[in-house]
Amino acid sequence: MSDAGALIVDRPLGKSIEQSYAPLEAILCTQAVQQRSWRPPDYERENRALVKLMGVLADSPGSILQTLADTILEITDSDSAGLSLLTNDSKRPHVDGNRFYWPAIAGMWNPHVGGGTPRDFGPCGDVLDRNRTMLFTHWERRYPYLGSATPLAEEGLLVPFYVDGKAVGTIWAIMHGDHRKFDAEDDRVMASLGKFASSAYQALMRIEDLKVQVEEREKAEAEVRRMACDLEAKVRRLVDANVVGIVMFTLEGGIKGANDAFLNMVNYTHDDLNSDRIRWKDLTPSEWHDRDEQAVGELISTGSFQPFEKEYFRKDGSRIPILLGGTLFEKGANEGVAFIVDLSEQKRAEGKLRNSEAFLAQAQQLARIGSYSWRETTDQITWSEQLYSIYEFETGVCVTPQLIRNRVHPDDSTLYDKIIEHARSGSGDFEWQYRLLMPDRSIKYLHAVVRAKRDRDGRLEYVAAVQDVTARRLSEEALDRSRTELAHVARVMSLGSLAAAIAHELNQPLAGIVTNAGTCQRMLAAPSPKVEGALETVRRTIRDANRASEVIKRLRALFAKREGVIEAVNLNEAVEEVIALSLSGLQRNQVTVRTELDDDLPAVMGDRIQLQQVILNLLKNGSDAMSAVDDRPRCLTVRTERDREEQVRLSVRDVGVGFEPSAAEKPFENFYTTKRDGMGIGLSVSKTIIEGHHGRLWAELNDGPGATFSFSIPRGG
Amino acid sequence: MIQLDNHRQGSPDPSRRGSFASLMTAKYTRATAEPPVVSIVDDDESVRESLPDLVRELGFTARAFSSAEEFLASQCAAETGCLILDIMMPNMSGPELQEELRRCSRDIPIVFITAQTSDTLRARMLARGAVECLIKPFSDTALLDALNWALRAN
Repeated sequence: MSDAGALIVDRPLGKSIEQSYAPLEAILCTQAVQQRSWRPPDYERENRALVKLMGVLADSPGSILQTLADTILEITDSDSAGLSLLTNDSKRPHVDGNRFYWPAIAGMWNPHVGGGTPRDFGPCGDVLDRNRTMLFTHWERRYPYLGSATPLAEEGLLVPFYVDGKAVGTIWAIMHGDHRKFDAEDDRVMASLGKFASSAYQALMRIEDLKVQVEEREKAEAEVRRMACDLEAKVRRLVDANVVGIVMFTLEGGIKGANDAFLNMVNYTHDDLNSDRIRWKDLTPSEWHDRDEQAVGELISTGSFQPFEKEYFRKDGSRIPILLGGTLFEKGANEGVAFIVDLSEQKRAEGKLRNSEAFLAQAQQLARIGSYSWRETTDQITWSEQLYSIYEFETGVCVTPQLIRNRVHPDDSTLYDKIIEHARSGSGDFEWQYRLLMPDRSIKYLHAVVRAKRDRDGRLEYVAAVQDVTARRLSEEALDRSRTELAHVARVMSLGSLAAAIAHELNQPLAGIVTNAGTCQRMLAAPSPKVEGALETVRRTIRDANRASEVIKRLRALFAKREGVIEAVNLNEAVEEVIALSLSGLQRNQVTVRTELDDDLPAVMGDRIQLQQVILNLLKNGSDAMSAVDDRPRCLTVRTERDREEQVRLSVRDVGVGFEPSAAEKPFENFYTTKRDGMGIGLSVSKTIIEGHHGRLWAELNDGPGATFSFSIPRGG
Repeated sequence: MIQLDNHRQGSPDPSRRGSFASLMTAKYTRATAEPPVVSIVDDDESVRESLPDLVRELGFTARAFSSAEEFLASQCAAETGCLILDIMMPNMSGPELQEELRRCSRDIPIVFITAQTSDTLRARMLARGAVECLIKPFSDTALLDALNWALRAN
């Protein structure tokens, strides 16, 4: 192609140009071949040429095309001879090529080797299209580009040839002068050579295939070499960097070489290594021998083994956790290379992490606190173990906002939606309390503290601590209830001081009455009675008496007209509450209380507080009756039981001083008391209360010491 | 009419002091014309009305005060031979007045009176140096005994 005479036509010419040149018929003279006188066949020369061709085909198929061109030139006695093959790249033949190229030319056109013609606008194309031998004369008249293919062709004889029934090219011979014209004998010889060309072409293709294969193989080998080179460099860097321990080992347990990293891990020196004092089998604690055997088995069967964690002994006998992986230099070989990674740090960190995780989990369990994180953009939720248990989700279930919402108490779900909406809008930190409705219909109270944060990409993430405050909530409620009850009982307890206040209020007018009466008496008893003064004292006496009467009226109003709350009252519970509340006072007086409560006691309908006032009075009464008792334990026995006629009875038995049998009704009268500091009003009020409950209150002397005070009221319902 | 009488009786009236009748009934008699002054301190009005009359009937001079502070402000402590003192009063209580008088070295015999009911109250008051502790309501003779005992040294 570097030759100045090479004819190269890369592009087919346009149709308009084709039309402006001679028609095909004008350059054809095929018919003339048969009409010319033909020379006699020279079979000997022909045979010689064919034998030579066969030899070349067998010995050096690479030069077959040139040999073929030479043969055509020789046998046809022409000026130039050659082959045109379909191609796509002007280098290799191709059956579906879009142009022709000239791989071999003998004779005067030899300088044009490598040139060619278009598939659809040239003599070769015409031959393939018509599928027969054609004789051209001065083809440059139709195909002007051939005008530059010098010397010009006086005549050109072209014969198509085929591979597997498909035309792949032509062989041709050219006469540049008119010293001889092609005749029928040339036609016959060319046809026979055409068949040979087919074989030559196939041989060539095989060579081309082979060339391609060789080329590819060379390329692959080069790639492998490059990779090996890279790998070697990498391995070398790895070995030298001492980040990873590297060991050249033998299957028998020896170590042929190792880098500093490995030696540092196990605290051995290069001297130890060089004197063969290190064997991997000796470095391995006995419990790992089985695992080693397994790895060796893998090495023998597959050439390498999957990395696994084990331990080595250091020189000082301590252990180092490592990760070990390796491969044999070749499959079936006895030696290989292994890498060893020190896992000490990792194990320590893992241990710490495990500890802190375990600690956190325990703390969360103790505090009933769970935690979660929620990525707002993806709804990805990470849920702690404790939270699974609080929500009673199956462990490992994928937690979604919807799953959580399903657990939220229906009354709180609107609130939940609002909170979520709020959070999605980037509300920042917040706290809230809500309820869960569990599958067993129980309710849990949760308190959540939620912190907002953004990751590096600005995505919103919430991290929350959720505490199960159910127990606290319930105890708060219980506390509230008992506070209310306590207030009631405190009211009951204040009766004692109320009685004292009442006594004070009453004693004032009584004092006035007595004083005035005494003065009056003296004024009238005098030798000259002071009637006016006496009248004045009488007036004051009447006024003070009225005042006393007012006090008593107020007292009555206080106890008798109190609006009660009628409800079902369990006397056992009422008793236990009163005992619990008066226990310290009773203990101060060294009184012990024994209860004999009927577990199956029916409830009574009544005012719980009033009934507790009565019980308290009976306890106080019994305790007071024993204040002088020193020769026996001061014991109160409180008993509840069913009484006859649908009645429930409560009795308080003491071992105190008792009372005069003839005065059995007296304790219940106003102001009767065996005690100097009491007004005796407690029992009388108690009696009023019990009668208000359609029951009765009475006292009996015991067989032994003390008395028993009882009341009996109808059962409720 | 009644109000006028009240007023007259509530205020010290020299003409009513030391009547013959009271001197006759009193166990305690004096050579001098002036009967000993008994001061009554009680926040209860009915006591302040009735008790001075009785004290006068018993032959003493009576003064009535509605609070401990009023008594201290009146300068009557100097002439008081015996103090009838209510225990429970708003602001300064009876025992507190007793303390205050001791502090001023005014050692006046005291008869406490109270409407409180307590077993131990009287014993506590006697232990504090009271001549007597009368629980309301108390009789005229109990009062006279207490006053005579209080004024015996004089």
